[in-house]
Amino acid sequence: MNDTNASSAPRGSAIERDTLATLSRPSRTYWILLGISVALVAIGGVAWTLALRRGLGVLGLDEPVMWGALITTFVFFIGVSHSGTLVSAILYFTRSPLRSAIGRSAEAMTVITILTAGLYPIIHIGRSWLFFFVLPYPSDRQLWPNFRSPLTWDVFAISSYVLVSGLFLYMGMLPDLALLGRQVRGWRRPLYRFLSLGFAGTDGEWRLFETAYPIFAAIVIPLAVSVHSVVSWDFAMTLMPGWHSAIFAPYFVAGAIFSGIAMAILLLSALRRGYRLHSYIKAEHFELLSKLLLAMSLVMTFVYATEFFMAFFRGSEAEMEVFRSRAAGPYAPMFWLVVACNSVAPLACFWSRVRRSLPALIAIAVLVTVGMWFERFVFIVTTLARNFDPQNWGTYRPTVPELLICLGGFGWFAMLFLIFVKVFPSMSVAETLQAEYAAPAAEVEASHA
Amino acid sequence: MREDLVAIYADPRAALRALDALHGEDVTTAQIASSAPLPGAHAEGSHDRSSTLGWIALCGALTGLGCAMALQVATSDSLGLLVGAKPIVSWTAFGVVMFELTMLFAGAANFIALIVLCAVARRQVSRRARDEVSSERIVVVVRARHFAERRRAAIRECLEGTAAEVQG
Repeated sequence: MNDTNASSAPRGSAIERDTLATLSRPSRTYWILLGISVALVAIGGVAWTLALRRGLGVLGLDEPVMWGALITTFVFFIGVSHSGTLVSAILYFTRSPLRSAIGRSAEAMTVITILTAGLYPIIHIGRSWLFFFVLPYPSDRQLWPNFRSPLTWDVFAISSYVLVSGLFLYMGMLPDLALLGRQVRGWRRPLYRFLSLGFAGTDGEWRLFETAYPIFAAIVIPLAVSVHSVVSWDFAMTLMPGWHSAIFAPYFVAGAIFSGIAMAILLLSALRRGYRLHSYIKAEHFELLSKLLLAMSLVMTFVYATEFFMAFFRGSEAEMEVFRSRAAGPYAPMFWLVVACNSVAPLACFWSRVRRSLPALIAIAVLVTVGMWFERFVFIVTTLARNFDPQNWGTYRPTVPELLICLGGFGWFAMLFLIFVKVFPSMSVAETLQAEYAAPAAEVEASHA
Repeated sequence: MREDLVAIYADPRAALRALDALHGEDVTTAQIASSAPLPGAHAEGSHDRSSTLGWIALCGALTGLGCAMALQVATSDSLGLLVGAKPIVSWTAFGVVMFELTMLFAGAANFIALIVLCAVARRQVSRRARDEVSSERIVVVVRARHFAERRRAAIRECLEGTAAEVQG
């Protein structure tokens, strides 16, 4: 990785110019990427329309596998969303230099992925226009959601998470929006002025901001952990073999952080290259992320091994059959792909040369992203396909419309992220400036002493 | 009518030195406005409301908890359905939604309080001065409109030492 500018730290207007470079006039590459993502959304939209018109029969879902690629994609995106805000909040408390570089993009990634994830249960229920039935409100039906069901918990957990993550992202952006409201011209000026809610950067405001922000970060951390735990309980609260396990919540949380770090590496490397942010998103930031990725990969490998060990140690026939089917059944190629992508490929990060090579890290991050999607697929489908009753065993293959809807989700995520980086600052100007102010402030403080 | 003294500095070192000089003149209520928080630049005389934010978040959290409890008990009673051998009012099962709404309301209360208190706090600095702030322009404001001319001149001198521009 080339960090030629890293040694001479940029100042004042240079920081502003560099960190706001993403807001400049879109390049040709940007339009091409946006075009591709919009095309994917359109393809997904057509496939969903087909499912709405002809019914869920066009999807590959059938007894006994009623949760397939759509729920897999939902769990995958929830996982990716999990780590953005969580990592950003933890980096804030640890005063890590990584935060000013990756915090904003990670938070945006959280909000966008959770908005993407939320689409899939709505699509999956078939009659999507009746989604509001899960909300508790007095209606003529005299029916209320069952608050003892993990699926209802899910609705509340995800809604709370998207709102709190959105507010966390917005709160962090207020100083930058205020700065933009004073600096830019044209149609964006009134937009930023309105969105900054009058924030002016006075001493009193900064003191309030510096008190409110850590409170919010402290709220976000347990909420982020709870959301993925609740999603894991959608599975673990059932009695199904392979799912009914106490390890599921930490397993999901670890997997979420793992996939989120991989996605963060991909997005940051694109931002760094696209907008020449080498002075801000540095090689050592990627090295730190790769160490985190490696650590989480080891945790995931431990969890995979524990699951198998517990299944065979417990001696439940149904449980053993599920895990036997994972490793040697019809879904074995996918399972071994998961092991290769999530457990083997990240081991390359033990070598410092790999950690310092951005192309190698990108390749590993892509493999982990693929591996995590298939991991969700394998554990959902194998349990349903090999349930307690052998008479009821079956196999599941996603149909083309189903896969296109999943692909559309990836396009939707990419489209929203591309729009975000063009409309909002994807790196925090205030935090980068704050780091720059620290040295002179310490100097003046020392002169007092 | 005389206006407040507004000094604009190109870098934080200069602004902090100006604040030092103002302290020498017994001016401890100078307000500073910048694009990022400036360590060690807090005005001593200004009224700090930041400690109330934690209490407001706590009130929000308790409101969320209360709403979640009421919502779940009321709706479960209305449905009257026994599911999974659990009683109608099942606090262990209700715990998740109680936690989620507690956190949601705490976050929302914290955010709303920040916005409202910021609106109050920034009134100490004139709009004209606030609009001068940029990444390379740190603004120091001294509310000197009621000061005697001699004292005003002394303060102006303190500000001018390292300032790029002094208005008022």
